[in-house]
Amino acid sequence: MFDLAHILDVLVESYPLFMKGLWITLQLTFVSILIGTGIGLIFALFKISGIKVLNWIANIYIALIRGTPLIVQIFIFYFGLAELGISAFWSAAFGLAMHNGAYIAEIFRGSIQSVDKGQMEAGRSLGMTYGLAMRRIILPQAFKRALPPLGNQFIIGLKDSSLASFIALNELFSIATTQGSRTFDEMTYLIIVGLYYLILVLLFTLLVNLLERKLSAGE
Amino acid sequence: MKKEMIRIENLKKSFGDLEVLKEVNLNVQESEVVVLIGASGSGKSTLLRCINFLEIKNGGRIVIEGEEIEPKTHNLNEVRQRVGMVFQHFNLFPHKTVLENVMEAPLKVKNQNKSEAEQEAKALLGKVGLSDKADVYPAKLSGGQKQRVAIARALAMKPDIMLFDEPTSALDPELVGEVLATMKELAQEGMTMVVVTHEMGFAKEVADEVVYMHDGQIWERGKPEELFNAPKEERTKNFLSSIL
Repeated sequence: MFDLAHILDVLVESYPLFMKGLWITLQLTFVSILIGTGIGLIFALFKISGIKVLNWIANIYIALIRGTPLIVQIFIFYFGLAELGISAFWSAAFGLAMHNGAYIAEIFRGSIQSVDKGQMEAGRSLGMTYGLAMRRIILPQAFKRALPPLGNQFIIGLKDSSLASFIALNELFSIATTQGSRTFDEMTYLIIVGLYYLILVLLFTLLVNLLERKLSAGE
Repeated sequence: MKKEMIRIENLKKSFGDLEVLKEVNLNVQESEVVVLIGASGSGKSTLLRCINFLEIKNGGRIVIEGEEIEPKTHNLNEVRQRVGMVFQHFNLFPHKTVLENVMEAPLKVKNQNKSEAEQEAKALLGKVGLSDKADVYPAKLSGGQKQRVAIARALAMKPDIMLFDEPTSALDPELVGEVLATMKELAQEGMTMVVVTHEMGFAKEVADEVVYMHDGQIWERGKPEELFNAPKEERTKNFLSSIL
């Protein structure tokens, strides 16, 4: 059943196909993480703003996203946005971004609140506006603290992008399933696709670690 | 006649049900050094923080350089540029070097050009004796050095008034002297200062007026020699004997 030579053969043979899927997975992950980080930052600022309406908006958003399965969200985005003529790629990207955004919002909120409140006071005492002190003093420190959990969320985001296969997007995982059922050799393709994800995650972890070390230099 | 820098009338401040300041009156003239003393919880730090609106008063008037400041209608950011503050725990920006700490507000708040801001920041660091630490991050400094950087950072905005909130309370005893020396120098240059401190030696030597606060009120005030040598109030006597 576990024939290493066979797996290697298939790995080499299927390499060009998987590269296409890999490229889509990378694009999907990059776009959804980028937008998700933006959304997360905005909702984190909503949550700490102390303005009731904004608090409510953020809380409802986070409750909805955390309270429903990602696959449901992806389908809702897919069918909802398809009517507006938006492609499967972009509806998956938005769905994943909205999903990641909720978790990233909580990560940012926690890290912003973990910055000593004397920092904001020091900024304000020098005549800075709230926004300027937030941007120049609080957020750089908060971002540094957010990096480890953020890296973790990015990895989850990368793996969750496999759910886009359900809306007929030819990313990594869907290559594995289509090839698997075409050849009746599902297990081999699943092992191979698992390997691809594993390598991606390891590379990504390395990148986050490097960034972390670079950001903490000097302090 | 000297200019009146701070006038506070019937200032009230509460946190929930707790009345921290009860009708406080205080005035500070130009170049005057006023030292606030009192037990913890007496309201002296809150009074200081009300002066630059880190705490917003519940009642009374605050007049800064002849202009009554109402938090609702005034631009507090502009007022705070004129009123510098030094904190007990320094609150330096840990992600910026010493020089960047000092330059940050002139660059971003006053939009000063970079070379000018850098020149002035370096001059200020020289003044507090830390020229050699310009490119170091705060984590590498001793407490006394941190506090001197914090003083330079506040001075970089060229404030007319400086507030010090227990500037030496978080320092090891051997580091207190260097910070007090810097403050004394500042006082001699004619800076208007309001200082919350437990350093009675500094109060005796540098203060023009010492204000003893108790229970959210100004209990007694006077020249340092009067207040320290011949306090009129029983409470002031008790407080002074408990700390000296």
